Amino acid sequence: MDPILSYIIFLPMFTVLLLGMVRASLPALRLGAVLSSVLVFVLVMAVSVDFDPDGGMQFIRILPWIAHYGITYYVGVDALSLVLLILIAFLMPLLYVYMWKERRKGYWYNMMLLQTGVTGAVLSFDVILFYLFWETMLLPIFIMIGRYGNGMHQFNAMKIVLMTVLGSMSMLFAIFYLGYRFFEHNGWWSFALSDLSTLQLDPQTSIWLTGGFLLAFAIKIPLLGFHTWMAPAYGSAPTPAVVILSAIMAKLGVYGLWRFGYGLFEETLSYYAPVIMTLAIIGLLYYAVHAIMEQNLRRMFAYSSGSHLSLIALGIFLVNIYAWGGSLYFIATHALSSAGIFIMIGLLYKRARSVTIDDLGGIASVAPRFAFFFLFFALSIAGLPGTGGFVAELLIIIGAFKVHFWIGVLTATTMLSSMLYIFWMLQRTMFGPVRTSTQDFVDLNGREMAMLIPIMMLLLITGIVPSLFIPLFEPYLNSALQDVMMTIGAK
Amino acid sequence: MFEELLLILPMMIVPMGAFVLMLLSKTFSLDRLNLVAVFFLSLSFIIEIPRFGETTVRYSFPDIFGKMYIIDDFSTLFDLMFTAGAILTLLINTAYFKSRDYFSGEYFALILFSVFGMMTLAHANELVTAFISLEIASLSIYALVGYHKNNKISSEAMMKYMILGSMTGAFFILGTAFIYGVVGSTNMGDIAAYINAPVDKDLTLILVGGTFIMVTILFKMGAVPFHSWVVDVYHGAPFPVTMFMASTFKIALFAIALRLFLIDFASVKAFWSEILQAITILTLIGGSFLAITQNSIKRMLAGSSIVHSGYMLIALSSIGVGSEMAAPAIMFYLISYFLSAVGAFGILSFIASDSKKMMTYEDFKGFSERRPYLSVMMAIFMLSLSGFPSTIGFLGKFYIFTSAIESGQILLAGLGIATAFISVYYYFKLIAMMYFYPSSDKQERFPFEFSTVLIGVMAVMVIWGGVGTSLIPFIPGANGLIDIAKQAIESLQTVL
Repeated sequence: MDPILSYIIFLPMFTVLLLGMVRASLPALRLGAVLSSVLVFVLVMAVSVDFDPDGGMQFIRILPWIAHYGITYYVGVDALSLVLLILIAFLMPLLYVYMWKERRKGYWYNMMLLQTGVTGAVLSFDVILFYLFWETMLLPIFIMIGRYGNGMHQFNAMKIVLMTVLGSMSMLFAIFYLGYRFFEHNGWWSFALSDLSTLQLDPQTSIWLTGGFLLAFAIKIPLLGFHTWMAPAYGSAPTPAVVILSAIMAKLGVYGLWRFGYGLFEETLSYYAPVIMTLAIIGLLYYAVHAIMEQNLRRMFAYSSGSHLSLIALGIFLVNIYAWGGSLYFIATHALSSAGIFIMIGLLYKRARSVTIDDLGGIASVAPRFAFFFLFFALSIAGLPGTGGFVAELLIIIGAFKVHFWIGVLTATTMLSSMLYIFWMLQRTMFGPVRTSTQDFVDLNGREMAMLIPIMMLLLITGIVPSLFIPLFEPYLNSALQDVMMTIGAK
Repeated sequence: MFEELLLILPMMIVPMGAFVLMLLSKTFSLDRLNLVAVFFLSLSFIIEIPRFGETTVRYSFPDIFGKMYIIDDFSTLFDLMFTAGAILTLLINTAYFKSRDYFSGEYFALILFSVFGMMTLAHANELVTAFISLEIASLSIYALVGYHKNNKISSEAMMKYMILGSMTGAFFILGTAFIYGVVGSTNMGDIAAYINAPVDKDLTLILVGGTFIMVTILFKMGAVPFHSWVVDVYHGAPFPVTMFMASTFKIALFAIALRLFLIDFASVKAFWSEILQAITILTLIGGSFLAITQNSIKRMLAGSSIVHSGYMLIALSSIGVGSEMAAPAIMFYLISYFLSAVGAFGILSFIASDSKKMMTYEDFKGFSERRPYLSVMMAIFMLSLSGFPSTIGFLGKFYIFTSAIESGQILLAGLGIATAFISVYYYFKLIAMMYFYPSSDKQERFPFEFSTVLIGVMAVMVIWGGVGTSLIPFIPGANGLIDIAKQAIESLQTVL
């Protein structure tokens, strides 16, 4: 019964409350935000040092919440959560460094609230608690896009909220029904994931309920057909929000699919598997083609992110150790590289006041340091060997080939297509003639380098020595996979 | 004798206060009258608090009045909400009363009279008493709606409400007459006993009478085929009155509806189940349409209050068909709606007190920069009304929808969730307006005002009711409130 996870979740929120009450001045606010995020990072490091890879779920804390319905405050961490937890804790301080000169206070408040929301969603093992965090993390994003965004930001903020809420409402309905079935079966209420997963449902109901959950995750990921919020939202959102959107929140869709999809509906998912795999494969290519055509860098990487998340979703549905390992690894490395590239785009926008490819060019000759980092992150998105993304994509592709030859072939196209748009984009922005907007391009300063180097280092380490990290979650994956195999096999 | 007087003391304090206020209305200033009214209401409130939880059911002067006046936890809880609602209405609107010249001393007396009517309505264990109480409350409210005499909209609203309201009131008395004709008594226990008696009998007139009574109640709730008055009346009435109607008077109707459905008609409720379901569906859809098309915040909240009635009707139609949580769910939802609606209307009337604006969505542009605290509170109330998790509104919906699913009304629950999704649009639109646009005039210092502190307390309660744990004793959080609701309903059912 260690409360350390609760500290990790609620520290940023309490900082917000405290600072908001006293109407803290900007420097105090900045200091508070940075301190809270660093403290959270230290705590997360403490958790990951104590974490036992073979120990399943750890640091569990269960407190009664709504007794009559058996809803509890149930937090814990296992390998899957830990990966995301470390990512969030690692990225937040760096984002604050990025935001250092930001003068609008609401920005800081919202970022801290966002951290509580996403961390809570990753750590909750009670479905209602998960839903609570899943919804609350939307609010800061809503306000950040609507308030500090650009373009049609008000409209796009409303769009992302309505679409995501539509998904979560369908999930909520499924949660209610699931809880009720559990009550009907056992005579007592519970919404804990571990309890609900013991429930046996008839196939028809199960298909409906799985659909309810899947809709929420499909919109969040977003799978093809549920993606119309993605490009506008990424295009309008301010940089820190985009980083969180692509690096963390989109991953949470995959996380939900994994945790709750496979936690609750192992059997039924095979019913949906062909549909989702088809959507993911088409999405993979469709988004890549979109990315090739896109002129706006933010939107381009939005599509690229969609393409890679489809790959991760596909990997999950391939159900073998290579694909699963690759997917989990890709969650981490893609989060890092997309955080890196979106920060670079943010810096680019600050300097050139434009993220349209036609306005840019020749940056490498004006600002070599900037160009170096930009190239590195862009290539890490494309899966450059030596970065973590390469290892992960390779694992997923191997997994795909294990399942079916043609699935493998189609999956492998991501690497090709991403090379295509990345290199073409680099050629037009970093090289070529210098344009008016890039004439006085200022190179990176020390603060910006300090924020980018950790991400780069981590990407390199994950790419060169993956054996350092894989043991952390391999036992978890093996046991989870065995569970799934047993249920599907038993059927 | 003395003890029985003591029983009705909290209820008697309120009309006494009203008389005092009428006597003082020419000599005292509005501020002091307000305080006098609050004093009497708080007195009643404080006497009631320790009474909750005594669990025994008592009748006042049973020798004289029979069992027409009942005192149980159910009515005590409602009394507490009515008095609290009135106190909050009066205190939050202090600034508003001063900003408009048409308020006079009688206003406070009328509020107290209507609270008196609602209290007796919650205590009524007999149909004629219920009718009289309903009329006392309604008549005061008719007068309050038209309080801005020289304003055409206000007068129109009053006429509309009064004519329609009196007409539907007649249905209630007609239904009572039918029931009396069969049963020979208007006492609820007797009616229930008659229905449940294992002898051969014709229930037609009781069903007809019950339907008539239902018409009245549904009309006052603003359920959809009877909803045409809601938006106009809420819009025409002065802000404090709208606030009072939406938060407090609405609750009173559920007091009588719950008592009727849980005691009187419990065993023949199945007869109405399809009607009730149809009305629920219409209310949810119609209310959403009304709310989504409005441009003025006041009208939007009026429309959305219809939707909230719809949610409670979902639970009402789930009562007695498999879920024991349906009735407590309504109680909890009433509390949650009460807190959020009082807060939201409170902020509106607070803003209206220093501007004569219409209060459309547009007017809220940049509000977060003008009044950062108020807009945070407004956002909290909007989130709670839309059922966003971590607010009390979410739990209210949670209880209602699970109880609906439990009793097999899956379609209704699904529709409820769909309308909750629609409601996200019109509530979030206000949040968007407040936060997405910059403001030309930033304000740095805010004068200390008691009403804002009260609204702040409401906001904290909304959050606390949504996430509050039982770790802190004496302050009922999310867990404690549902226990309170359950206790109230249980006290109601011990009568039989």
